[in-house]
Amino acid sequence: MMRTISTLAVSTFRETVRDRIFYLVGMFGFVMLASTAVLSPLTIGAQGKIMTDVGLAAMVVFGMLVVLLVGSNMVRKEVEKGTIVTILSKPVGRRQYLLGKFLGLNLTLVSMLGLMGVLFMLMLLMAPGSFSPAYLGAIYLTLLELVLINAVVVFFSTCVSAPLAAIFTLGTFVAGHLSQSIRDFGALQGTPFQQKLFNVIYYLLPNLEVFNMRGAVVHGETIAASHLLLATVYGVGYAGLLLILAGAVFQRRALRG
Amino acid sequence: MSVQQVATIGPRSGTDPEGTGFLERQLAEITAPAAPQRPAGRIAEAPALQVADLHKDFRSGFLRRRLRGIAGISFSVTPGTIFALLGHNGAGKTTTINCILDLVRPDHGSISILGRPHDDPRTRARIGYLPERPYFFEHLSGRELLAFYADLLGVPRTDREGRIDRCLELVSMQEFGGRRLSKYSKGMLQRIGLAQTLLGDPELLILDEPMSGLDPLGRREVRELLLDLRRQGKTIILSSHIVPDIEMLADEVAVLQSGRLVATRSLAQLSEGTGYRVNLACPAGRSGDDLAGWRWRLEGDVQRVEAGPVDALRELLDHCHRQGRTVLSVDTVHTGLEDLFLQLHEQEENAR
Repeated sequence: MMRTISTLAVSTFRETVRDRIFYLVGMFGFVMLASTAVLSPLTIGAQGKIMTDVGLAAMVVFGMLVVLLVGSNMVRKEVEKGTIVTILSKPVGRRQYLLGKFLGLNLTLVSMLGLMGVLFMLMLLMAPGSFSPAYLGAIYLTLLELVLINAVVVFFSTCVSAPLAAIFTLGTFVAGHLSQSIRDFGALQGTPFQQKLFNVIYYLLPNLEVFNMRGAVVHGETIAASHLLLATVYGVGYAGLLLILAGAVFQRRALRG
Repeated sequence: MSVQQVATIGPRSGTDPEGTGFLERQLAEITAPAAPQRPAGRIAEAPALQVADLHKDFRSGFLRRRLRGIAGISFSVTPGTIFALLGHNGAGKTTTINCILDLVRPDHGSISILGRPHDDPRTRARIGYLPERPYFFEHLSGRELLAFYADLLGVPRTDREGRIDRCLELVSMQEFGGRRLSKYSKGMLQRIGLAQTLLGDPELLILDEPMSGLDPLGRREVRELLLDLRRQGKTIILSSHIVPDIEMLADEVAVLQSGRLVATRSLAQLSEGTGYRVNLACPAGRSGDDLAGWRWRLEGDVQRVEAGPVDALRELLDHCHRQGRTVLSVDTVHTGLEDLFLQLHEQEENAR
């Protein structure tokens, strides 16, 4: 079973490499350099802070691009092209297939964020005094956030078309960062029904602010180990639940040979 | 009336492609009893595949209109035989196969494969499947694709390369294993598709239109490969809308029309209805009168003799041999399966 999943994961990862997804790492480097060149003269004394801000934000943006472009299409493409039927005619369960695809894209995200992280650290080292170990924690939380969003896109891609899956996932990403505000807005409403409704929405949506420590670390805050642990449990648990749901939907799906 | 040439020899064919024994072998093949060559001792075994009362409808369009896929399909396949699903495009062959492979969930009915539930992924380790449209990852080479499927099948790493070599050899693709699939012709994709069905040394092969896209040589090679696999005791289910392919391969055929199974026959029964025509050399000045009692006509220097069923063919060939006549070729002019298929088709048309 593990070999089946790892075979599918590695194959998905290789496909993203072939599709030149890693060019985005080059673009990240370019954005970092450009931000240094353009913004440094305007921010005397805060060069490292600006670089950190831009670098951490760019990681999320490029990571989201990968999730939306690759993730929304990876299952759908195989269903439409018909490559999936030969795979599922082998001793491969549909849930295993989804898990393999999900892990394959995670492998891409880990590699990308790893490369971006190294590039980021190297550039920070060139701006003395701006490096903090908390940045590593922020990058790790960003990765967790992308893993969760990857599960969201896998779930949507089993139910709707690729463009819709991408749109819904982007919507979830935005709403996930606003979920606390949604709850607060609900609390301001008059009727208990409205309060309950907004509470339900709050609990259904992933709270992505849990993973957003980017602004905090730029301003010198540290990330507690307990926060990292809880965020890991929350992110992995939420992604796991979504995959179980995606598996249940995909299990019933008619595929044509 | 269709004419299928089963043997071409003498001046019309130029040279004997397989040496001097070709004519004898072809004639022996035609006149041999058509009983399936099943490995001994397999008849009493449990079916390799049992399909009972399978129904599947599809929903289409905004209003989710109900479209019939298949209705009440039941059949069973004896181990070690070739079982064919014959029908027009849209008759329900692929839907039946999709249900068997659990790609589509039937609305009703039961399927068991090699005595196991069809929806258990482990059952599929014992099946090789070639889809109707064999699309594979185009960025991979033939070898890489086979390695990918071998890993999914759990083939031990130490055994993998050897098995890939053997499968490539079986489909005559050794030379092209390193080439990317995007550079493959349709026939090469079909061959690599067949190779992947054999990777796991399956007991049951399910092949949806396996001859599609192949040139005549390729068709013949695949035919020989399938017959060889049957000799090894494999069970093969193939779907096709091409009657001659099925006649040459299958032991049993199920005819599907509009999602219903309308007939199941053994090819041995059907071959009794096959009719043959013998083409004889008839140079200028030679009369064909030595064939009194046979219906014949002269076309140039070829005398075409309607031989009738296989017994009469045997008698005619003996007669020609005694008379020293040169047999140019033997054609199949109508077959039992073709007749059955056309008859069922007419019935359906009339019923509409």
